[in-house]
Amino acid sequence: MEDPQLHKIAISGPTLASMIQRFSSSLGDVDGFLFGHVTQITPSNLSDDSSSSDSDSQLVATITGFFCSGQNLSFYDSLGRVNSLRVPSPNNHQHHNLIGWFSGRRQSPLRPSLREFSVTNSLSKTPQFRFSVKTSSQSLTNQTLTPSVFILFTTPLTDQLIHTHQYRAYQLHASNKLSSSSSLPSPSFHAKSLDVVNIGPAFRGHYGSFTPNCALPLLNCDTRNSCSAMNVESLTSHREKISDQKQLDSCAEGFRVETLSRLMGPEASSYTGAVEDLYEKMLAKIDSLARLVETSSDKVLELENHNRKLRFKVARSSGLE
Amino acid sequence: MSGGDGFPPFISAQLHYLMNHFPHFIKVDKVWSGSKYSGNLDRFTLLIPYCLDTIKWDILYNAEFPFASPDVIFGPEDEDFHPFLLTGDEGGGGEGGLNAIKNSLCNWNNKDPSRLLALIKDLRDQYTAYQRKRVGEVDDERVKFEISTMFAREGIEMHMSSGVEKVQSEEVKFAVPLMDLNINKMVVGCPWRHEQKIYLQVVYPVNRKYMSAPSAPRLKLMSTPELKYMFSIDDVKLPTWLDGMCMAEYLPHLEESLERQVSEAVTLIDVRRHFIEALAPLLGRPVETDSVFYRKTMFFVASGAFSFMVQMFLSTQFPKQQPAMMLQSSMYFNANGMPIKSPLLSEYPWSPRWDTSQMAERIFEFVADESLNFRKYCSEGHLQH
Repeated sequence: MEDPQLHKIAISGPTLASMIQRFSSSLGDVDGFLFGHVTQITPSNLSDDSSSSDSDSQLVATITGFFCSGQNLSFYDSLGRVNSLRVPSPNNHQHHNLIGWFSGRRQSPLRPSLREFSVTNSLSKTPQFRFSVKTSSQSLTNQTLTPSVFILFTTPLTDQLIHTHQYRAYQLHASNKLSSSSSLPSPSFHAKSLDVVNIGPAFRGHYGSFTPNCALPLLNCDTRNSCSAMNVESLTSHREKISDQKQLDSCAEGFRVETLSRLMGPEASSYTGAVEDLYEKMLAKIDSLARLVETSSDKVLELENHNRKLRFKVARSSGLE
Repeated sequence: MSGGDGFPPFISAQLHYLMNHFPHFIKVDKVWSGSKYSGNLDRFTLLIPYCLDTIKWDILYNAEFPFASPDVIFGPEDEDFHPFLLTGDEGGGGEGGLNAIKNSLCNWNNKDPSRLLALIKDLRDQYTAYQRKRVGEVDDERVKFEISTMFAREGIEMHMSSGVEKVQSEEVKFAVPLMDLNINKMVVGCPWRHEQKIYLQVVYPVNRKYMSAPSAPRLKLMSTPELKYMFSIDDVKLPTWLDGMCMAEYLPHLEESLERQVSEAVTLIDVRRHFIEALAPLLGRPVETDSVFYRKTMFFVASGAFSFMVQMFLSTQFPKQQPAMMLQSSMYFNANGMPIKSPLLSEYPWSPRWDTSQMAERIFEFVADESLNFRKYCSEGHLQH
C-alpha cells in the first residue's frame, strides 16, 4: 500500500519556536513526537493552464503540537527500531494524530542519519499508527497515512553565519526511482517545504478557512437563573450543564456569575470590594501553583544533574579500563 | 574528563584504534561537540578512502550518553544509501556483514576500543556492495560487459557518479587493483604500515545514447601515496587504448609491464645503496642516510680549513637521472641565522653508463671543484651582513 505524498508541511510560529527552544536548552541531542493533522485541500484553480489537472487536491500536514523527550533514543533502539509501547497511543481526537517525529542535534550536518532513516521507516511501517486524512470541511476521507513526517534540527557547523539554528522537513515516501525496474519501491526521504503559518504574505487569505481548535471544553453555562427552557431539554444536557457549572465554580472561588450584574448601576460601588476579594483569591491560587511548579522544576533539574554526574562517572571509569 | 584530544576517553580510545588499524589511510577531518555545557567533543567527520577517492562520513557519539552507540551520517550524494534496507543477495557485503553491523549497534560496548573500526569496516563493505549494485543497474551495454569480465577480480571497487541534475554527465568509475604482488614484502626493512598497491582508475561516460561507437574510457594510474619513495607511477607510460578494446584485453599487458617496472624499482634500491657505499671512501662515512630506499644521504666534507655538508638527493630514476646536490655551510650563517646553502646542483658531468666507482670518483671531483666556488659564495654572503 503506497501512501500519498504530502504537498507541504505547515507549522505555527510559536510551535516551531518552542521546539527550537526545547532543543537549544537541552544538554545534548533530543528527539520527540510531532502531533497534528493532514488535510486535503483543493487549491482554487483559476489559471488557464489545464495541464496540471493531476494535482487537483493537495495534502497538507499541519503540526499543532509536539512532545520533546529531552534526550535521544527515547522511543527506539540504536538500530532505529521503534518500541511502540513508548509511543503515545493514538487517541480518537482528529486534530491530534501522531504524524511523525523530530530529531535535534548540535553541530552536525543537516542530513538525516542512518538511525533517523530507520526510525522514520519503522514508525511509518507500524499499522496501528495509521490515521485518516481530513477534507477542508473537517470530515474524514477514506485516505489514510502513517506517521512519515520527520523534522531535523541542527546548529550550523560554522559560526560565521547569522542564524543559530537550522531545520529541514522530510516525508518518508516509497517511490520507484527512475533507474531500476526490477527492484521494489524503496522508501526515501523527500524534502518538504515547512511553511510557518502566519508569516509572509502567503497567509493573508488563510483566515477565510480558519477554524479554531481549542483544547478547552466549551463551558455550557446558563447565566440566567431561569427554569423556563429546562423542561424542553433532555436530562443528559442538564447533567452536562451542572458539571460545567461545577468546573466554573471551582475557578470562581464562590463568586457567583449573577453577582456580576450588581456591578452595574447604583449598587456598583459597594460591590467592588467583593470583586477585589475574588481577584485576590484567584491570585493566591495562581501564586501557589507557580510555587508548586517552581519547586517541582527544581527537583527535576536536581535529578537531571545527578543523572548527568552518574553518566560522566561511568564514562570516565569505562575509558580507563 | 577528556582524553587530551578533547574527546572523552571512551571515544578517544575507539577513534585511535580505528586510525591505527584501518586497512586504508583514514583521516579525521573536523571535530565537533554536541553538548551544551561540557564542551566535550563527541562527533567528527571521517575521510574514508573509497574507489581512489574519499567519502565523508560523520560519526555522532553522544557525550551525554556514553553507553549509546554512535550514529552515522553519510555523504550528501549518498542519500539513497540505506544499509539496513539492502538485502543479502545484493553483492559483496552480504548479509553476514549486515548482521554484524546490527549486532554491534544493538550490543554496543563502549569499553571495547575495536568497535568503531568494525562498524566503519562493515559499513564500508555495505557501501561497496551498494555502489556495485548501482553500477550494475546502469543501462549501458559496454559497462555491463566490462563488469561481467572483471567481476572475478578481487578488490575491485566501483562508483556511480551522477552529475548535477544532468543525465548526460553520468559516469561509472572503476578502481582496479593491479598485480597480485605484495610490494611491501619486496622491500627490505619495509616501513609501510599500509599495503602498497597500484590501481588503474577507469572512467566510462554513460547514457550517451546518440553516440554510435563508445569512446575510450578515461584511464589514470594511481598508487597508495607512500609508494612514491620507491616507484613513481607518474613515470609510467600507459599503453594506448585501441578502438573496440575492453578491459580484459588491456589489463594483462599493463600488469605485465608494471610488474617488470616495479621489480626494476626494487633492484634500483640496491643500485643506490652501492653508489652511496662507493662514495664513503672518498667523502667519508655519511652523516645521515635514508637506509630503506637510499633516496637521501648527507656527508660532512672538509677541504683544508673549510668544512661543509653535502646533501645528496637520488631520484627513483637513478642512475638514469644524476643525483642532485646541495652544499651547506657549517660556519657561515645568513642574516636569519640559517646556515648558508648553495643552490640545487644538478648539472655536472654524468653518464648512466659509468660504473659505480667511476660515478663516485666524478662526484668527488665535482665536489672538490665546487667547494672553492661555495667557499667564495659563503664568505661573500657572510660579508654582506
